[in-house]
Amino acid sequence: MKIQFRIRRYNPNDRNAPEPYYQAYTVEVALGMTVLEALLKISEEQDSTLSFRKSCRSAICGSCAMTVNGFSRLACNLQVLPEFQKMGGMTIEPLANHRAVKDLVVDMTPFWNKMEKVNPFLMPTEKTASNAVSAEDEELIDQSQKCIMCACCNAECNALEIDERFVAPAALAKAWRFVGDVREGHGVKRLERLSEEHGMWDCVRCVHCTQYCPKGVAPLKQIERLRSAAMKAGILDNPGAKHVEAMAESVEKFGRLDEAAMTFKTLGFLKSLGKIPLGIRMELHGKMPHPYIVPQIEGIEEVREIYREAAAREKEKKKE
Amino acid sequence: MRAAIEAARSGLDVAVVSKIYPVRSHSVAAQGGINAALKAADSWEAHMFDTVKGSDYLGDQDAIEVMCREAPSDILELERMGAVFSRDSEGNIAQRPFGGAGYPRTCYLADRTGHGMLHVMYEQLVKHGVFIYDEWHVLRLIVEDGSARGVIALELDTGKLHRLHSKSVVIATGGYGRVYRTTTNALSSTGDGMGLALDAGVPLMDMEFVQFHPTVLPRTGILMTEGARGEGGFLVNSKGERFMEKYAPKVKELASRDVVSRAEQTEIEEGRGVDGCVLLDLRHLGAEKIKTRLSQIRGLAIDFAGVDPVTTPVPVKPGSHYSMGGIAVDKDCQTAVPGLFAAGESACVSVHGANRLGGNSLLETIVFGRRAGVSAAEYCKATEAKPFPDSALREACHSVAMILKRDAGESIFALKSAMNDAMEDFCGIFRNKERLAKGYGKIRELQERYKKAALGDRSDYFNNELLHYLELGQMLDISECILLGAMNREESRGSHFRTDFPKRDDVNWLRHTLVHKEGGEFRLGYRDVSVTKFKPEERKY
Ligand SMILES: Cc1cc2nc3c(=O)[nH]c(=O)nc-3n(C[C@H](O)[C@H](O)[C@H](O)COP(=O)(O)OP(=O)(O)OC[C@H]3O[C@@H](n4cnc5c(N)ncnc54)[C@H](O)[C@@H]3O)c2cc1C
Ligand code: SF4
Ligand code: SF4
Ligand code: FES
Repeated sequence: MKIQFRIRRYNPNDRNAPEPYYQAYTVEVALGMTVLEALLKISEEQDSTLSFRKSCRSAICGSCAMTVNGFSRLACNLQVLPEFQKMGGMTIEPLANHRAVKDLVVDMTPFWNKMEKVNPFLMPTEKTASNAVSAEDEELIDQSQKCIMCACCNAECNALEIDERFVAPAALAKAWRFVGDVREGHGVKRLERLSEEHGMWDCVRCVHCTQYCPKGVAPLKQIERLRSAAMKAGILDNPGAKHVEAMAESVEKFGRLDEAAMTFKTLGFLKSLGKIPLGIRMELHGKMPHPYIVPQIEGIEEVREIYREAAAREKEKKKE
Repeated sequence: MRAAIEAARSGLDVAVVSKIYPVRSHSVAAQGGINAALKAADSWEAHMFDTVKGSDYLGDQDAIEVMCREAPSDILELERMGAVFSRDSEGNIAQRPFGGAGYPRTCYLADRTGHGMLHVMYEQLVKHGVFIYDEWHVLRLIVEDGSARGVIALELDTGKLHRLHSKSVVIATGGYGRVYRTTTNALSSTGDGMGLALDAGVPLMDMEFVQFHPTVLPRTGILMTEGARGEGGFLVNSKGERFMEKYAPKVKELASRDVVSRAEQTEIEEGRGVDGCVLLDLRHLGAEKIKTRLSQIRGLAIDFAGVDPVTTPVPVKPGSHYSMGGIAVDKDCQTAVPGLFAAGESACVSVHGANRLGGNSLLETIVFGRRAGVSAAEYCKATEAKPFPDSALREACHSVAMILKRDAGESIFALKSAMNDAMEDFCGIFRNKERLAKGYGKIRELQERYKKAALGDRSDYFNNELLHYLELGQMLDISECILLGAMNREESRGSHFRTDFPKRDDVNWLRHTLVHKEGGEFRLGYRDVSVTKFKPEERKY
């Protein structure tokens, strides 16, 4: 079957066409053919100037991530025919949230820098180095170990789109790989650093990273593990942790979120004042939650029971 | 990377140069595992014996001894670095059985052993502050007055050439699977380092020994691991016959890789294939078992062959998998040129001889990678830096400019395709004098056409085509070495099977082949095999 590919071309060095443009190629597609195979066919038979990255062609090296029909995918494990039938077209662009270098090749330097920022290596102390790793311990970090560093998650990350300094999901999943390792000796220090600005609390929980990760790493889940580890370690002096604390307190008290009080508790008094203009705008639109008339929900006792139960279990666990 | 880590640990200033980012290296694809005699009931001697026998007695026993003795401590070192091998129910490192091994001694990280190990190497590079020149393609090894001076590399991003001046160089550029059409190797496995070493005056050893894996998907070359047959999968021909009953009545599908590959090839060549393949039939195992025990394989078959093994047999064929031969080095990874070392699949120590056992090559990369790092560090500490020849960069720039300037000429993709056909048809699983001579003639012809090929992409930025041109040059040289070695070795041993000489011949051929390149011409030489503990006997399983 003949299928038309629309590919975003870009070569800043080309004096005649320094701006990005789309070019169409028609490819004879066989059953089972992947997007990567189609790109190889184009570069071998039609246009050898088309640049893209590739190596393993089996979804394990992480080279070939790109945007296909608007979503971050690995070109090498995506079959053309079903994709074409589902989406009604084949548009291929470089990964989002990254600067294009040429055609489908993006600058990965920020990706590696973020990785390096989380100290992506085990740092045992003399005491922790010999901790035995059980099958359950291994299970806890197993997901985070599946990462192939393809950057699909970072490309889809909403928080990264707003703040390019955000450490972003791939590096956070990697961070959990070490924080969650029983042999790690500097877990708390790592969590403190991750709690700083542009760190793990900046994630807005859009779930895109988990949704678009081709290897089931579920970065958001690892971020949540990091967050609860930080709270357990008492690293609370940051907006993110305070937000969660306030949320928990509100639920315990009222059985629901007291959103207005939460802003106050999360940001502190002075910073909350800065939110007054926003509050006024929200009030005008009828969206301002009213702190004084927060009623308790019915069955609040049940909610409190859950909290008591959780606390008791936590104690029990510590005793063991 | 293992070598770089070791050299950095001893306080040297080290850099890694890689044409793809190091975590993209093809080691990442190794699923099965890595061998080491860890248990009290096992021993390094037993591991050594299995390896020697597997190599069809062509492996150097002094080197094999080093590898098997040092394997356990290297595994533990990997764990200290951060790797977590899969555990058994008692919390010890689990070990699974592998082909050709007398004891279950293969450690693994789920079904992503290579991936886990490679990422740990990257982690340690970052930890030791080793500088990474990523997406820099090495195109010259500089040797002057008989010692290594560094390399010249092309920065892919900008198209610029750079000189990297160093006291020593370790080559670890992997295998050359892409010489063949059907291969389990990555698009980047083009054997560059072997070609570069040849040009630098270092001989290649035992190049005629190429391992073919029996269950590879056609077109993409993706590997269906041995587990599929281990779990009870059948191989059938176009008539629906389970043909392995004929070739290996006892073990059938579980015979060794070379035996199964030859059986498949016979079926295909005698007209009982299905579109040039045979069928791997798993249906009788039932959906339940396929989905739980063989989920990875099922996923690959669906993603890459478009068939679900639960309902449809998967077409498979033999494909090139591993390069036993490579840059000739001693057990300290030293090549013939002082300051130049080699390790991993690009090197030939030789620990695999005529046939590699599964799980031994990841081990080789780790043991000999470390040893290469130690050797290089010792060499650096004992020698003064010598100057980098001025003319070298100029010459390299000139030759690249000439390639880019060439106006009309054949496309390199056509040439590569012709090379793949020649190697697959004339230098594959079954070899004989006639076929090999034909292949050789074809490659010589392609060598000439290569010099006149022209590129469609003349730009500097991320010029993939230029990269592929350079790779093709190395692959043609490698093909020529494989063919030369195969034509002259008039016996059958391990992976090298001559229909006109079907028997092993220890009297004349218990020796390594060496190929040198001098003034553009190839010359053959031979070297004795180190035999220490185990005298050659017939290899039967
Ligand atoms: C599908 C598959 C499964 C396997 N399974 C197993 C297994 O279960 N157990 C086992 O023991 N073995 C297995 N093997 C074999 C084993 O994986 C390889 O032999 C081994 O990983 C090779 O490692 P290496 O470091 O030598 O090379 P590679 O990992 O291939 O690395 C080569 C490096 O060299 C760089 N390079 C190459 N050319 C240049 C150049 N010109 N300039 C700059 N850099 C360059 C590349 O960028 C790359 O980083 C398997 C192989 C395959 C293909
Ligand atoms: S869930 Fe968080 S880290 Fe993941 S993509 Fe959304 S904002 Fe980014
Ligand atoms: S977490 Fe998933 S999407 Fe993100 S880099 Fe790793 S493998 Fe890719
Ligand atoms: S080519 Fe390696 S992940 Fe796609």
